[in-house]
Amino acid sequence: MAFLVGKNISKKFGGLTALHHIEFQIDSGEIVGLIGPNGAGKTTLFNVISGMYSPTSGEIYFEGNEITGLKPHLICRKGLTRTFQIVRPFFNMTVLENVMVGSFFGGAQIRSKAKAEEEALHILKFVGLQERIHLPAKGLTSADRKRLELAKSLATKPKMLLLDEVLAGLTPTEMSQAMALIEAIRRELGITILIVEHVMKAIIGLSDRIIVLHYGEKIAEGKAEEVAKNPTVIEAYLGEEIQV
Amino acid sequence: MEERVLQLIFVGLIIGSIYSLIAVGLNLIYGTMRLLNIAHGELIMVGAYTTFWLFTLMGISPLFSLFLSGLASALLGALIGQFIFLPTIRKTKSVVVLESNSLLIFFALSIIFQNVASLLWSADIRGYSYLTQIVKIGGVPLMLNRLTAFITALIISVLCYLLLQRTMLGKAIRALIQDREASQLVGINTKRIYLFSFTISFAMAGLAGCLISMFYEITPFMGLPYTITAFIVIVLGGLGNIMGSLLGGFLLGLVETIGISVTSPGLRSIISYGIFIAVILIRPKGILGRGV
Amino acid sequence: MAIVILLILPFFISDYIVSVLLNILMWIALTESWMILSGYTGYISLGHAAFFGVGAYIMALLWRKLPFFAIVPLGGLSSMFLAFAIGFPCLRIRGPYFVILTLGLSEFTKYLFINWEVNVSGTVGRILMGAPDLHIFYYSMLVIAGLGVAVASWIRSSRFGVGLRSIKEDEEAAESLGINTSVYKWLAFGISAFFPGLVGSVMALRWTYIDPYTVFNPIVSFQIIVIAFLGGVTEVEGPLLGAIVLTLISEVLWAKYPYYYMIILGVILIILVYFIPTGILEPLKGLIKSRVALKWRSS
Repeated sequence: MAFLVGKNISKKFGGLTALHHIEFQIDSGEIVGLIGPNGAGKTTLFNVISGMYSPTSGEIYFEGNEITGLKPHLICRKGLTRTFQIVRPFFNMTVLENVMVGSFFGGAQIRSKAKAEEEALHILKFVGLQERIHLPAKGLTSADRKRLELAKSLATKPKMLLLDEVLAGLTPTEMSQAMALIEAIRRELGITILIVEHVMKAIIGLSDRIIVLHYGEKIAEGKAEEVAKNPTVIEAYLGEEIQV
Repeated sequence: MEERVLQLIFVGLIIGSIYSLIAVGLNLIYGTMRLLNIAHGELIMVGAYTTFWLFTLMGISPLFSLFLSGLASALLGALIGQFIFLPTIRKTKSVVVLESNSLLIFFALSIIFQNVASLLWSADIRGYSYLTQIVKIGGVPLMLNRLTAFITALIISVLCYLLLQRTMLGKAIRALIQDREASQLVGINTKRIYLFSFTISFAMAGLAGCLISMFYEITPFMGLPYTITAFIVIVLGGLGNIMGSLLGGFLLGLVETIGISVTSPGLRSIISYGIFIAVILIRPKGILGRGV
Repeated sequence: MAIVILLILPFFISDYIVSVLLNILMWIALTESWMILSGYTGYISLGHAAFFGVGAYIMALLWRKLPFFAIVPLGGLSSMFLAFAIGFPCLRIRGPYFVILTLGLSEFTKYLFINWEVNVSGTVGRILMGAPDLHIFYYSMLVIAGLGVAVASWIRSSRFGVGLRSIKEDEEAAESLGINTSVYKWLAFGISAFFPGLVGSVMALRWTYIDPYTVFNPIVSFQIIVIAFLGGVTEVEGPLLGAIVLTLISEVLWAKYPYYYMIILGVILIILVYFIPTGILEPLKGLIKSRVALKWRSS
């Protein structure tokens, strides 16, 4: 069933066209990868979907309802949450407080502090941060900050997550842990995922389907093996052979 | 009738020339360091008082004490820049925090200047008579002091323009205004440029103060209205756009003079602050946002 | 405990000390409410004098027409409505631009009132006759300050407070987690304007003479900032410490050396912003704790 649909999305910044007539459809329960060389427009697309930017033209539908141009907090409450490429923890608040923000204000709109705390603890356990709940966020390691970013977004009880390069900068061990976590998010929590990644192995391992952007346009879409063999895609990455 | 209009235009240009100097000074610090010097007006006041006392106590002509006021303010700028703001810039990691903290520091400085001046020279309104002969330009009577101030302001503006366009220092300043990181990459010593910006900015305020003192009364609290006006000019002329400030100053001087003549002098402050507020609220996107 | 002392104290001490306490309470009320906006969301206001002045003028206009205890809440409500009215466009402005915007708004309000007074009533100042006893002012301010502390404290630990504080940490991230940042800032702005309105109404009558220059004076906003930074801008107990320090300095200097007072405050603010932006409350607490621990260990 069509969960997130983008129709003819364009985004211009003055003279610069960042996105050009992008069409996509994500179905419920999928993990879809979004790849493309730097500057292809991946984060811009996320910003447009999540409401940080309004598209210059085009529409976005979530669960059948139009969400084009809605403010970010409303889109979050409808069940569509994004993470940030460069993680944005609330540095001077504790890990627990950070996640509670999501519990309080996200899709669940929890009013009671006790219940929000309970939910937050549950999620922190799921991502593996239960030992750190009272640390201020600025004291976390880089990998833990990414877990926190994930935890915050999970606390908003999303039906769909937009993950922006969560795997960047992780060691191989950390990366397999992260990938397992993402799969668990889909499997156990039933959350649909659109994930931007540069690490090819990871995205091929995780995704059911891949969409490829280049200079703001969609140049390919399909299963991982098809996309890897697509000559346009290979050319976009300057002749890099994508090992499947 | 025609003479009246001509007089308004002349007066507008005269006050506009001073606004240009003040705005350029404010914009220099903003352009290079993204700091809003809300104490700019107080430096004008310092220049004005320096000139006043040199004239009243020692009979030194304001035109000569121009150099002294400028020098005194420049020195103040160098000291404050070196010992307060360069360390602050170095210490503060977050841009948002730096901008807000600097503003508070400037605000505190403005209070300190106002009260030091009141302490030293009392809060009374002061003035002196200088070059009060009337001269006729194009049939319009003007006081010689205003004409002198105008010509001097023009000369300073031209010098400033030449400094920015023709000297290495000027080029470096303009580069820094355009792109801080790129400037560092090509080897521009940003710390030195910051210091120069402070010095030149404060000097221009001091010079403007000297000129103002020639034909306006002065008090320790005269500063803020000039800061507000300067701010209006730099937003409308373009933040970081020095040429825009030079031209914008003249324009605002004209608009203000004509505006007051058709409304009333009592409304001057209301209109000035009203425009100030409007300019901040209705700013074109990207000029005042994070994107600058 | 402290509240009980404050309640019965005026009967045992001189009027002079009561008036000093009155001032301390006034600054506590002003700064606690400033903190609700500026401490929690990080939108620093240099314009709270405007709300104080509006409250003062409500008292000036309604005194003798309504009882004291009816006018004061009206003063608070007027300021609050003003804040709500201008809140949305103003709070879209960020960082230092918001700071100078608030200063500009405060000055604008001042000149509006000056113009209005001169044109409408002919004089710039107003005299209020028949003010009540000092003790009435004291207890009014005690209630207002207590309310201010209570509200600031409640907000800080509430869901609303968590939202406000995440706005200060990272406004965009806060919004992307579901916080309606515009509304939250607007609410904080309005609430923070209520108490200065109350305080202004009370003080107008206490001073018995007001004019736009005194009640809309940026010096009021300036002193609030100094107190806030002294105590630490997000600590509920901060303004208590800051108000006491400020009032003590002011008692010593204000009457004879007002200029020195301002200069010293200016220097203090620069030192605080530069060296100890989180205020001296925490370090002071730490110092006292370690001294106490030392004494205890050595005894």
